[in-house]
Amino acid sequence: MKKVMPLVRVQLWAMIAGFFAIGEQRKKKTKALFVGFAFFFLMMSGTSFFYAYGLGTLLNTFNIINALPSLFMALSSVMVLFTTVFKVKGTIFGFKDYDMVMSLPVKNSEVVASRLILLYSINLVFVLIVMLPMTVAYGIIANPNWVFYLYSIISIFLIPLLPIIIASILGTVITYVAMGFRYSNAIYMVLSFILFFALMIIPFFMQGSEEAFAKIHQVISNQINNLYPLAALYSRAVNDYDLASMIIFAIISIVAFMVFSLVVGKSFVRINTLIMTGSHRSNYKLGELKTSSPMKSLFKKELKRYFASNVYVMNTVFGMLILVIMVIALPFIDTNTIVEGIDVAGAVEDIIPVIITFCISTSCTTMASISIEGQNLWITKSLPVSVKNIFLSKILVNLFILSPGLISTIAIGIILKINFVQSLITILTVIVFSLFVAQYGLVINLTFPNLKWSSETIIVKQSTSSMISIFSGMALVGVQVALLVAMGSSLIANLIFIGILLILNLLLYKRLTGRAIRQFEKLY
Amino acid sequence: MLRIENFSKSYKGKRAVNQLNLKVDGGDIFGFIGHNGAGKTTTIRSIAGVLDFEEGDIFINGLSIKKDPVGCKKISAYIPDNPDLYEHLTGIAYLNFIGDIYEINKNDREKAIEKYADAFELTSNLGDMVATYSHGMKQKLAIISALIHRPKLLILDEPFVGLDPKASLTLKNIMKELCNNGSSIFFSTHVLEVAEKLCNRIGIIKGGNLVTCGSTEEVIGDSSLENVFMDLIQEKM
Repeated sequence: MKKVMPLVRVQLWAMIAGFFAIGEQRKKKTKALFVGFAFFFLMMSGTSFFYAYGLGTLLNTFNIINALPSLFMALSSVMVLFTTVFKVKGTIFGFKDYDMVMSLPVKNSEVVASRLILLYSINLVFVLIVMLPMTVAYGIIANPNWVFYLYSIISIFLIPLLPIIIASILGTVITYVAMGFRYSNAIYMVLSFILFFALMIIPFFMQGSEEAFAKIHQVISNQINNLYPLAALYSRAVNDYDLASMIIFAIISIVAFMVFSLVVGKSFVRINTLIMTGSHRSNYKLGELKTSSPMKSLFKKELKRYFASNVYVMNTVFGMLILVIMVIALPFIDTNTIVEGIDVAGAVEDIIPVIITFCISTSCTTMASISIEGQNLWITKSLPVSVKNIFLSKILVNLFILSPGLISTIAIGIILKINFVQSLITILTVIVFSLFVAQYGLVINLTFPNLKWSSETIIVKQSTSSMISIFSGMALVGVQVALLVAMGSSLIANLIFIGILLILNLLLYKRLTGRAIRQFEKLY
Repeated sequence: MLRIENFSKSYKGKRAVNQLNLKVDGGDIFGFIGHNGAGKTTTIRSIAGVLDFEEGDIFINGLSIKKDPVGCKKISAYIPDNPDLYEHLTGIAYLNFIGDIYEINKNDREKAIEKYADAFELTSNLGDMVATYSHGMKQKLAIISALIHRPKLLILDEPFVGLDPKASLTLKNIMKELCNNGSSIFFSTHVLEVAEKLCNRIGIIKGGNLVTCGSTEEVIGDSSLENVFMDLIQEKM
């Protein structure tokens, strides 16, 4: 075991170094970034608290407040499950420093343990963000016994264990099956999206009233308890202060984790060898080649690079997916009831642009488009292509990914019969905001590049660049909402918002055709 | 074909290359030799337009890499010491991408790919993803991609590392063929026997300074390149 911790430490530091990789400014900005990370943690916890408190209050009015802890436990378990499935390849199997780590005088089981502890540590942070605020919210609303707090806090450390195992098994199976296909990523992503769609779309087809809302959660809570027996154990432990359930919950989680570590340890080298060998056909015969213009070819290369990374796609395409789901679901739901139900001032037409811009703000691909070049940067830099065209290809890919936003906007306008002027303004907002997101992401990534990453997850999810670009986009959505509230008229508010975005776009264009070129040239 | 004038490059205040001046003419095979950290890769990356530099200038066929990088890159090709290629593409997709960027017409592209892929025995693997290639196969693919647009200047950093003996011989023959057709080659190597036999001009760099440069005969004299190199390295230590 004494060799496990140094391995975990070195991997955690590599991850943190990746997070704080800000080139020449690394030392200067580290302190500021720690503050930023703390701010992020507090902000996410705050959001989690308000959601837990809001939902708890609603559940309390229907006398089903006891469902809150198990709902949040299920939510964190699903979150761990989803995020870990994508991390298995690159963390447990097929990781970049495999050869180096395996050549060390360390047992296979110790390497596996270090990898699993790494996965556990990352997930624990997110479970803490979800579960701690819920515990506080539940405490305020339900005023439970001290046993609740004790069991809740112990449970937080146990919750990630089983989802990590399930996700690791699923991730391994998917990776293993996909190895047989040349375009395995496409199959992998389609399956994942089908699952996501199923989870997202079910609540949309249910009634939109408060009572039904509470019932949905109760039904889901019961379903979760049936589907995921650990949730039932957890629920009995924290709600009924049942010591036996708590002990069984702890034993199952810990023993399962230990058994899993041993099993993986036994097949670790074999699975890694299979994954790293890949699929060879070696039967290619030269045929006719299709030619393209340099710009089109650059665009296609960028797009292929984007779709080749599961973690990149999964983290930047959900906003657009939500919009598509919304368009599909809109004809089936009574929008006015929802708006009244969630007590938001204003008409649906006023809220639609905000929802769309929010979804766009989460779909920035350019924020990692420079970093993702990594060790391949020499190819881009040695090609006879101007830096402006390289930037353009990256921006075009982002606009292409954001294009469902524009199509959805038009479709929503037609479905909801929004008047022409308002529709036109929303379309304009979507266009200028998309352009902003694509340009801004690129500028931020050029300022905070990380070309020496060991895993794509680091640059897509845990980098300074991704954090800044996504939260800045969201902040702008906040400006949009503030304008809406301050102006009273959505028309004037959106026109001012478009004006602000146009100015920002011009400034970003100036930057991308000036200083950003020099920043790119200096990268190595 | 290649002219380096007063080129210097520093990393965080440390001088990697200092006031380098050299010239490579059409038809030359120039061997750039030096120990680890001498400044070879820095020079090569700067010639290829991959590395930014402040002092001096580098001219390819009369064009400045600083003022007209695209023009310079159109007539040159670069292969790094460790070619990390796009792993998400198949070998043929990568070659076709390079063909598109250099705007090589369809016929010439197909002929060149066939010629060089056959020469390096890589044709049957071109349909596989680059991610599944071995180091040597990636090296071969990088070499093919550099050759298909018939560069006037070929810049190679340790091109023989990772190649099997047959592929090394093929590469040497192609290098000679290119130079016979008027192109120039600038490459770094640690294999002194190869440099001695293959190059008509040699430059030795030490601590960022060019310590000797000239025709192979002038540099070697009656000795061997290994002896000359060792003498020069020990001389000023």
